[in-house]
Amino acid sequence: MLHGVPGNRLLTEFRSLRHVRIFLLLKTLMGLMSQINVNLCRFSSTLKRDEIGLIPCPEARYNRSPIVMVENKLGVESWCVKFLLPYVHNKLLLYRQRRLWLDRQALVDITCTLLLLNPDLTTAWNVRKELVECGALSPERDLYLGKLALSKSPKSPETWIHRRWVLLHLLQKAPPADQNQTDAERSRLLGEQLAQTLQQEMKVCADAACRYPSNYNAWSHRIWVLQRLAKGNVKVFLDELSSMRPWVSAHVSDHSGFHYRQFLLQELTGALAPPAGCSSNGERSAVEEPPHDLPAVQQLFCHELELVSDLIRSFPGHETLWSHRRHVFFLWHRWKEQHPGDGGDEGGDPAEGAQTRLSQTSAGVPMEVERGCSSDPQDIKRLRRGVPLPQPPTSQTEHVFVSGLLDGCGPEQRSFALAYRKWLDTVVGVPS
Amino acid sequence: MKLYSLSVLYKGATKSNLLKAAFDLSSFSFFQRSSVQEFMTFTSALIVERTSQGTRASVKEQEYLCHVYVRNDSLGAVVIADTEYPQRVCFTLLDKNPREADAMTKVQAELDETKIILHNTMESLLERGEKLDDLVAKSEHLGNQSKAFYKTARKQNSCCEIM
Repeated sequence: MLHGVPGNRLLTEFRSLRHVRIFLLLKTLMGLMSQINVNLCRFSSTLKRDEIGLIPCPEARYNRSPIVMVENKLGVESWCVKFLLPYVHNKLLLYRQRRLWLDRQALVDITCTLLLLNPDLTTAWNVRKELVECGALSPERDLYLGKLALSKSPKSPETWIHRRWVLLHLLQKAPPADQNQTDAERSRLLGEQLAQTLQQEMKVCADAACRYPSNYNAWSHRIWVLQRLAKGNVKVFLDELSSMRPWVSAHVSDHSGFHYRQFLLQELTGALAPPAGCSSNGERSAVEEPPHDLPAVQQLFCHELELVSDLIRSFPGHETLWSHRRHVFFLWHRWKEQHPGDGGDEGGDPAEGAQTRLSQTSAGVPMEVERGCSSDPQDIKRLRRGVPLPQPPTSQTEHVFVSGLLDGCGPEQRSFALAYRKWLDTVVGVPS
Repeated sequence: MKLYSLSVLYKGATKSNLLKAAFDLSSFSFFQRSSVQEFMTFTSALIVERTSQGTRASVKEQEYLCHVYVRNDSLGAVVIADTEYPQRVCFTLLDKNPREADAMTKVQAELDETKIILHNTMESLLERGEKLDDLVAKSEHLGNQSKAFYKTARKQNSCCEIM
């Protein structure tokens, strides 16, 4: 505090000194931003960035850039964030308030930097929506940024919400018509592109689910993608069910992962054996009978109950597993009520019409689905050679399972088992 | 269901020395791994120091479970795993002595009779008046970056990180 200096003059001096500092900082920050974006833009390089991270570093030790690159990981030292983030955020807000003009490239750079540091800024995502709509930003590039942001913040709700917008945009945008392509070729290419997008989304969801336990946002996105891109596609659902088996076995308390399996089971029962009187796919002609593969449904539920039983025995004391069992048994129980006397204790007749067939190649190997004309005697032989249809689950078999566990189990497992038994009697309603 | 580290230490009179350690930190984000590794070493050493000879214990800290066994000859081992990894399997791992042919049956029998102390937090291992923050600051196992990481993690102990 300078004594004897009139108040006004002190204020003027301070203001100009501050301005000088800010000017120098801005120059550095703009350089920083372009560095981050240049690093990300290397699409064609073999070392495409697949992860970003914040490096805890409270002070700038050396006079060097805070951007660190190791292999294909991009790191940002944390000391620079308190300068960079407000600066970039402020620029964006001024643009939104129409107090500052920014060209499209600058907007791409600014939003990219912002979202890598804080992916929950809706304004930044919305600016990117506008850029995608006017064609200044490719949806693929935007999805790539989202994937990177999720590597640092796997739950970020705004990132997932924006991702769904971009996917819808991609789906609605018709690819340019190529004179040389036939209609069949076009639809084949479209189908391939869809399958590729689907695979990519499954991968992004899987990575995010691994990075954060019970990542509800990632799993519900996964469900959304299947509902939009794979509606009624039994093969995709079955593949997902079998590929998720080892994952849930290694994440026995991940409730969202098991909830995903419940969703898959529900969709599969709807597709394989829809309730009498309606078809699963609105486009089906009135003449064609919807496929009714009732033994397949029973086999599905048996396999699922087998999986959860195995996990409950191997990893005692996890409530998630018991909760999953409740869901699975309830789905089965309700489906049985809607299909009385169907697909019961003996296998259905496979030799009628075109059918979907499940076959188990050997114990523990994931299920495969084959769609084909089953009037071929070879097919029937193949089915007969397979594992005989297991007994359908009932309240009685469930009670047997619970009783078998109660001997010699720990206190937590015991309380879960007893609660399940009580649920069976109260909710399902058939006492032991 | 993850196993993060397995360390073997010697419990000296005043402090414990790390003899050998193995880590699997692939589930952590890349730039956190070195700090996480240092923390696991720090934690393993601290746990062995605060565990008496001939004791088995499990210490829960946030989403980690640390299982320790200190033998009567002052050799100790610590396994750091997540909460899904079965406790029994960890203790079987810690007891393994390759020289004994029927090690598995012997160990299982011992485990059935052994009492395993369960600590709900790291803090219950400390003496009265000791703070974990002080121990972290003084530790020689932790580099400056890790200490900074610890401070920010303590401050931002929320699921929604806003930088």
